[in-house]
Amino acid sequence: MNPASTEADVLAEVAWVLMVGGFAVLTATMGVLALALRRGRRPVPSRWWIVGGAAVPATLLAALAVYSQARTAGLDAPPPSGALVVAVTGRSWWWHVQYREGGVVTANELRLPAGRPVHLALMSDDVIHSFWVPALGGKMDLVPGRINRLVVTPHTPGTYRGACAEFCGEQHAKMAPHVVVLPPAEFDRWLAAQAAPAGPPRTDDARRGQRRFTDLGCAQCHAVRGHAEGADAGPDLTHVAGRLHLGAGTVVNDHGALADWIVRVQQLKPGARMPAGHHLPADDLAALSAYLAERE
Amino acid sequence: MTGPASSSVLLCGVLLLAGCDRPSTGADAARGQALLAQYQCGRCHVIPDVPAATGTSAPALTAWGRRSYIAGQLQNEPQNLQRWLRSPRSVVPGAAMPDLGVSEADARDMAAHLMGLR
Amino acid sequence: MNTLPRPPDELPALREAWRMPTGWRRLTAVNNTYIGKLYIATAMLFLVLAGVLALLMRAQLALPDGSVMGPGTYHQVFTMHGTVMMFLFAVPVVEAIAVFLLPNMLGARDLPFPRLSAYAYWAYAFGGIAFFCTLFFGVAPDGGWFMYPPLTGRVHSPGLNADFWLLGIGFIEISAIAGAIELIIGILMTRAPGMTLARLPVYAWAMLVVGFMIVFAFPAVIAGTMLLELERAFDWPFFIAERGGDPLLWQHLFWFFGHPEVYIIFLPAAGLVSALLPAAVQAKLVGRTAVVVSLAATGLISFLLWAHHMFTAGLGGLSMNLVSLASLAVAVPTAVQVFAWIGTIWRGTVRLDTTMLYVLGFLFTFVFGGLTGVMVAILPFDWQVHDTYFIVAHLHYVLIGGVLFPILAALYHWGPLVNGHALGERAGRWSFALVFGGFHLTFFPMHVAGLMGMPRRVSTWAPGQGWELPNLLSSIGSVVLAAGFLVVLVEAVRTFHRRERTPGNPWNAPTLEWLPTENFGARSTPQVTSAEPLWDQPNLSSEVEAGQHWLPGTVTGGRETLVTTPRRAALSHLVVLPGPSWLPVVAALGTAAFFFLLTVKWLVVAFAFGALAIGATVVWLWETDRAPDEATAKVGDGVVVPVGAAGVRSHSWWAMVILLVVDGTVLASMAFAHVHVAMAAPVCPPPGAALPDGAGWSAAGFAASAIAMALGGRGRATRRLGGVAIAWTLVAAGLAAWAFTGLFQQHAAAHLDPRATAWGATVAALLGYQGFHLAIMALLAAVLVTRIARGLATPRQRATRDNVALLWHGACAQGVVVALLPHATAWAMA
Repeated sequence: MNPASTEADVLAEVAWVLMVGGFAVLTATMGVLALALRRGRRPVPSRWWIVGGAAVPATLLAALAVYSQARTAGLDAPPPSGALVVAVTGRSWWWHVQYREGGVVTANELRLPAGRPVHLALMSDDVIHSFWVPALGGKMDLVPGRINRLVVTPHTPGTYRGACAEFCGEQHAKMAPHVVVLPPAEFDRWLAAQAAPAGPPRTDDARRGQRRFTDLGCAQCHAVRGHAEGADAGPDLTHVAGRLHLGAGTVVNDHGALADWIVRVQQLKPGARMPAGHHLPADDLAALSAYLAERE
Repeated sequence: MTGPASSSVLLCGVLLLAGCDRPSTGADAARGQALLAQYQCGRCHVIPDVPAATGTSAPALTAWGRRSYIAGQLQNEPQNLQRWLRSPRSVVPGAAMPDLGVSEADARDMAAHLMGLR
Repeated sequence: MNTLPRPPDELPALREAWRMPTGWRRLTAVNNTYIGKLYIATAMLFLVLAGVLALLMRAQLALPDGSVMGPGTYHQVFTMHGTVMMFLFAVPVVEAIAVFLLPNMLGARDLPFPRLSAYAYWAYAFGGIAFFCTLFFGVAPDGGWFMYPPLTGRVHSPGLNADFWLLGIGFIEISAIAGAIELIIGILMTRAPGMTLARLPVYAWAMLVVGFMIVFAFPAVIAGTMLLELERAFDWPFFIAERGGDPLLWQHLFWFFGHPEVYIIFLPAAGLVSALLPAAVQAKLVGRTAVVVSLAATGLISFLLWAHHMFTAGLGGLSMNLVSLASLAVAVPTAVQVFAWIGTIWRGTVRLDTTMLYVLGFLFTFVFGGLTGVMVAILPFDWQVHDTYFIVAHLHYVLIGGVLFPILAALYHWGPLVNGHALGERAGRWSFALVFGGFHLTFFPMHVAGLMGMPRRVSTWAPGQGWELPNLLSSIGSVVLAAGFLVVLVEAVRTFHRRERTPGNPWNAPTLEWLPTENFGARSTPQVTSAEPLWDQPNLSSEVEAGQHWLPGTVTGGRETLVTTPRRAALSHLVVLPGPSWLPVVAALGTAAFFFLLTVKWLVVAFAFGALAIGATVVWLWETDRAPDEATAKVGDGVVVPVGAAGVRSHSWWAMVILLVVDGTVLASMAFAHVHVAMAAPVCPPPGAALPDGAGWSAAGFAASAIAMALGGRGRATRRLGGVAIAWTLVAAGLAAWAFTGLFQQHAAAHLDPRATAWGATVAALLGYQGFHLAIMALLAAVLVTRIARGLATPRQRATRDNVALLWHGACAQGVVVALLPHATAWAMA
């Protein structure tokens, strides 16, 4: 547990207090039990056991309750104005991400600026999911019909892996969001780049790829802003090449990953709502890869 | 027979009947059912037994196997259905259903599942 | 005290009345000893089956990117592991132990409704086995044991899997509720004379609390499963947000049941420890009164905690804080019990035999699990560990540590009551080492995995996150744990196959189940003067066996037990108990088949089996309302009591009262659903829906029907009922039918559309529930009228008439609520 946000710091502190305290209580209780196992009978008035058994725990729990209320109050506060607003919508089995500033749409990976509160507005289009990045704080469910909110204030740049924390069907296990925390200036550059639509393809292969992207039906589900608009059944691919992973954390997005994903998606993530492209001719595949690899 | 035994026999029966969808063409209807989810057909069509298939912008595919026509124009039999699935707009120009890049094998399996819906 | 020696034919007559049927007819046995053993064995079967599923899960999760099974199969396996453990093992085993142990511990000859316990067992056995077999056909439920919609709605789970859960588990709860009725009535009304509440064994107190908890908790999940099944079958959108429903509604209903459920499972184990510990250390339980108060307090507080399973669902801060405080508070009564046990050990002499080892294992593991429970009651901590393997660890620490270890201790302690032999000590120590060591090796690392970010219910996990070591250790541990259970199982089978002999009182235990017993319990029912009768009343065993105490034989030639007053256990009357019969078995088979065939949509055959079940039940109830020839019975020298009782002294009357409470709680849960969706809507009723006109007339009709039924019972204490009673019954039936059809028509005229909005769906569900009651009322009216017409409703045969009337009044009261609730809600919202 390496907390990377102010909220996660509080949670870590609470966790340590509880673990140390719990361990102490366990040791003390077992100590009394060990004493009780000694041979011979010694009278101890019943009242001591009952009053002790009630009063000591009640006192400790009351203190714990006070501590807990204090720590919770800080975490439950409404998001400050000036917070970065990001809408995260859960779909089976990926995360639709939309930044209010600039209308940036991406998927499965959030990049956040260090030192600024982020207000995550959490929704779901189908079943209940739960967004959780342990390093950045607690989790919050995405419930159809509700908008739940989670506030995180990251402070340490880095890449943090998360998980979907509410059983949501076949690929619940492979629905890992990632959060990349950047220094503020770098974040601003990134956001501006994401807001820009896709530029023209730079090679012949990529140009062929752009045509195949539409002809083969990819554009029915995936949008590439500037080239193929409107679809949002699947992740937005405008800047897919810049993402660290594909398939909601299923595979690392390194060289060849995109082609592999297109062909073998059903083996890498069986049941994902994307048909496998193993019937594609090799040159079509190469063209698509070239095209998508340019989408940074 | 006691309760669990008779229930098991009945269940066997039901499932065997459900499994009767392997026509001699070698198509795999069970795979077709999964493909219908993968191609997200359910975004426009209601399809029984396919998860999240509740779209209403296109006709429901309930009891598809009993239909006489595809898109009101083609006779509803496996070969035609596969042609339709692979490229609706080449069968009916201007059809609302898009070309989704369905391969031949995929179309065969999807058609097999659909024809089995009675 | 009775004069000795007893007449020579008294004991043989008693034995004859209680004789076990042989051969095929053994299936008709209803005696609690037989049913209890069968029940415990079946529950253990499910423990083993669900345990095998757990081994499969650990095999899959031992290494990253596991490939033992695909996600679809894994989801069925983990769902069935949880469902079978919770519904087919945990609750049944604690009820089964009570069925076996309680009557003898209370000094009763049997449970108050032997055929009901037989029915409950067979329904559970048939239903449970059929349910488990869905795995072999690949149609087992796969939405988690908690079955959250929308994932389990028809859109996202279109197959039959979820329906098997809803209909299968829904009906297995009937077993649990029947058990609860037996426990409450048995504990309050059939104790040995002199066993005042102050002298009631702590285990019996625990089961009494648990009985009441079942009565109030199970109806919530019954209502929830009914609603989800209606949504799946008919598209009534209780949990569909687009049409005004709320997925969280399910969570509220499920966890209102689910949290008390875990205490329903734990408190009996706590009671078992309180019962066996004094014998194990030869000292009275420390703080007996405080322990009893703690049991009740835990039971009560547990109903306030359900929302702590929903801390990440987006509930309001104030309610979450209150629930967090209550979740901390519940630890206090539990701590009192723990220190009472430690105090008892302190006070006594410890012998480290297998029983004691499991008690110590329980104390360590359960306190550990209780402490992690306190930790997760703290909101910030829960926000990290909710839905992770930390919770998996916590729940197994409290369920295995807190329940299974006491059960194993109980097996060693009470084993001699099964056939006279105790389980072997060497096997016991080996089993303890393997079970205790294996348990901690399996589940301790899960705390770590959870804190490192591993979520629950994942079919595989990716490498490189530090989860490799904890998972491998857990998987190895599971094999060790399984080996330990295997040792227990083999030893138990070996021991219980030995030739039967009398157990005596090998541990010098203080309570009545250690009296010499046969099928009929003890030869005579002891007059009790202490909470530890076998310690404080010397010669009690020999006196009881010689027939010196109450009811040394059988008065009517049949099976009988004494009924005593609830508080001071003063002798009240003698009740004749029914004997062996095929009817409960047939009814159970019919009920199980009905629910399963309904799931696979074989409607005609399903209803045929349903009719069979109803028919068998009607005949069974008809038979049991029969006054024996004797009106009074001599139960001791110079003491004569009535045979049978009516009204508030009747045990079946009180059973019906409890059933009405269950029924009312189901209605309350459905009413909650209605209010919940109404409050979520911006306008009530929502656009397109309307309140019906004339509901007041229907309410009045139901009230009048209740009055008519009451009038039909006038004079029943003094004379045989006749034509006047029949007339009033028919009037009552007519009024109820008029009220209901009127209400139905009013809603139809208001264009009630259950599919359009959740509001409409909840109103329709309430209406449907009332309609179900109308069907039952029609059947009961027919039965009652037939009985009266046959001249069978006499002052000494009043159960049918009284219980039908009671149910009638309850159903009419519900009718008034169903008629008026939508109006009341809309008015309150305006």
